[in-house]
Amino acid sequence: MIRIENLSVAFGRTEVVKHVSLDLRDGEILGVVGESGSGKSVTALTLMGLVSDSARMTSGRILFDDVVLREAGKPLDRALYRSYQGAKMSMVFQEPQTSLNPTQRVGRQVEEVLRLHGTLTKEERKKKVLETFLAVGLKDAERVYASYPHQLSGGMRQRAMIAMAVILHPRLIVADEPTTALDVTIQNQIMALLRGINQKQNNAMLFITHDLNLARRICHRVAVMKDGHVVELGTAEEIFERPGEEYTRRLVEAVPSRMKRISDAESDRKTGSESPVLEVRGLSVYYQEGGNSLFSAQRKRRAVEGADFAVYPGESLGLVGESGCGKTSLSKAILGMNRRIEGEIIHHSVRPQMVFQDPYSSLNPAKTIGWLLQEPLRAAGALDRSLAMTKGDMEAAAYDMLRRVGMGEEYFHRRPSELSGGQRQRISIGQALISGPGFLIADEPVSALDVTIQAQIMELMRRLQREMNLACLFISHDINVVYKMCDRIMIMKDGRIIEIGKTEEVFENPREEYTKLLLKEG
Amino acid sequence: MKQAGGTKWNKYFVAGLLMTGLAVLLGILGMFWTPYSTTAMSAAEKFSPPSLRHFFGTDNFGRDIFSRVMQGLGTTVAISSLVVLFSGGIGILLGALTGYFGGLLDEAVMRVTDAVNGFPSILLTLVIISILGSGRQNVILSLGIVFVPSYVRIVRGEFIRLRDADYISRARLMGVGRLRILFVHILPNIFSVFWVSVMIGFNNAILAESGMSYLGIGVQAPDASLGNMLSDAQGYLQSAPWYALAPGLTIVWLVLGFSLFGEGVRRRSGVS
Repeated sequence: MIRIENLSVAFGRTEVVKHVSLDLRDGEILGVVGESGSGKSVTALTLMGLVSDSARMTSGRILFDDVVLREAGKPLDRALYRSYQGAKMSMVFQEPQTSLNPTQRVGRQVEEVLRLHGTLTKEERKKKVLETFLAVGLKDAERVYASYPHQLSGGMRQRAMIAMAVILHPRLIVADEPTTALDVTIQNQIMALLRGINQKQNNAMLFITHDLNLARRICHRVAVMKDGHVVELGTAEEIFERPGEEYTRRLVEAVPSRMKRISDAESDRKTGSESPVLEVRGLSVYYQEGGNSLFSAQRKRRAVEGADFAVYPGESLGLVGESGCGKTSLSKAILGMNRRIEGEIIHHSVRPQMVFQDPYSSLNPAKTIGWLLQEPLRAAGALDRSLAMTKGDMEAAAYDMLRRVGMGEEYFHRRPSELSGGQRQRISIGQALISGPGFLIADEPVSALDVTIQAQIMELMRRLQREMNLACLFISHDINVVYKMCDRIMIMKDGRIIEIGKTEEVFENPREEYTKLLLKEG
Repeated sequence: MKQAGGTKWNKYFVAGLLMTGLAVLLGILGMFWTPYSTTAMSAAEKFSPPSLRHFFGTDNFGRDIFSRVMQGLGTTVAISSLVVLFSGGIGILLGALTGYFGGLLDEAVMRVTDAVNGFPSILLTLVIISILGSGRQNVILSLGIVFVPSYVRIVRGEFIRLRDADYISRARLMGVGRLRILFVHILPNIFSVFWVSVMIGFNNAILAESGMSYLGIGVQAPDASLGNMLSDAQGYLQSAPWYALAPGLTIVWLVLGFSLFGEGVRRRSGVS
């Protein structure tokens, strides 16, 4: 029903989509997987007629039921597209926060689609919207109808977006990373919803994702994209069980799964016989609501309640939970970045460090890599004269660290803006470790990275941990990443640590219902 | 983020650089050397129109206007530079401290800057001048004080934006000292924004200084300044229009140059 033939799209002189041919039948879910920059989103946007004006179609054509929607060399026929958009094809975007207009009530925005495409009266439209809300699992439909986007949770906003996309029963739904911004448990509900809609309405779905596990669960067929090309196309089973291409195999293997663990050999070694590097006893963390201003009232809210645990030298302790459960509040309190606490935090290591999630904001853009790597040494020297090093020694240490995190000497004089996300995360790790802390907190250090890069960074962290006998608190929402990295794991929900134990034991014998849920859905 | 048009050598930047460069060079030269003495009078050459001998003509005393414009440019550029240096320096210091630490100091400084902003700037300079008396130093001081709040606001905003950046949190964890975080870690990251406001500040200083000299409370005769030349020339607008046009167009040239330069810097660094 939809045919993309030999599609190429270029921005300026760079082609980002190269000779892509795809086809979709009614009722079929086609997954397009690939890492960032592989051209998957541009393909989808071009199909939808939503790609920006700076993009040129350099070859190929797009057909919808044998009607040519677009052809290379011909300008975009906006009128034609408008008659298809919404009614026959619609799109669900990644960011539920930014895809809805914050100044309008949600109900009105969904109704807008009906107003543009239908002949229904006002009452009929509202009825239809409420029905659709119920169908996409927004139980309190009346309230959602009258709410502004910021009054809804991320999951509810995404449901509202989906309601908007399906309300006219389009034949094609394009979903561009529809669950990436959501928590795992919500993710699964949204996926189930999309699949349910697909079965009920029998529409075709183009499902774009970087998450191979998701693609495997929902898609009938999968296209793997790399550098603008479709490198492999087949049924989901073929792609995942018997990948034909080298690149596909690498992608599939890089997905952290419970089949393979890095750390089996040593995981039994550290169990409490040594003295811990960090002890946390009865820790509650608060944060303040209502600004810092002189006159506004301040309220306290508890983010973490009664946390008790210890971290031992050389061990990786995983901390898993959904966003908002208090993971980050806990880590900030441990590092003294939030002092509104009760309970005890006892450090037995000097100056614990942290690696953050976002590689693009964790390195000072005004400095060179060499300078950044030396700064912890300078700071340590300034605080304690006995640790002061000569300029030459610091430089040598920085070069050494550059090598240890797997980067060439030529990066010494470069700036962060010249580095990729993975490279920046390597430098962040090097910067955290160069002063030899005994303890490191890694807050989602790989979740902003592509899956193959993720695997490399995890390897790197494990290796450095072994070499430096480093204790690590590894925070993640991805239970598979934690499984791969950690000796013990800790499950957190609503500010409380509900389960803690050796990774295998927790995975094989979860005690708490919530843990079982997480494990099932991960 | 870099904009698509944010090339390193954009048209605004080049045009601004050429215009301001020429004016500033002439001005600096004018502080030491001018084609004619700026005070030498000649009754015979009174009100001679622009010619090859006198590019911009001569004034009511037969003095060479081009030489006097050069000297005036020098005065204006020097005073504006010092004003920007003074207000920018204090602005960085106060903005950095209030933005980074917040709290009571921040409240206090912000209320004071609000108060200063509440007055029309020309009125406030007049008050300061009437207390301190006229003359170069006092012009610099009064304009400097009046311009401080705008820099404090810009710098403070940037420091607030950056104080919670991940890389600053990490610097704190490394044990980097507070002053070093302020001036070594954060400050270089705000320069692109700061330069744009410096360019705007330069323009405001030029206009304010000219305005004050025009009103007779700035640079005093016999020293030439673009402002007091305009004031002297207004009696001869009909008979010798070049006398007013020369300093007037020079001010336009200078301000336009700095505006283009500022816009060029803005586009270059992608500040919006």
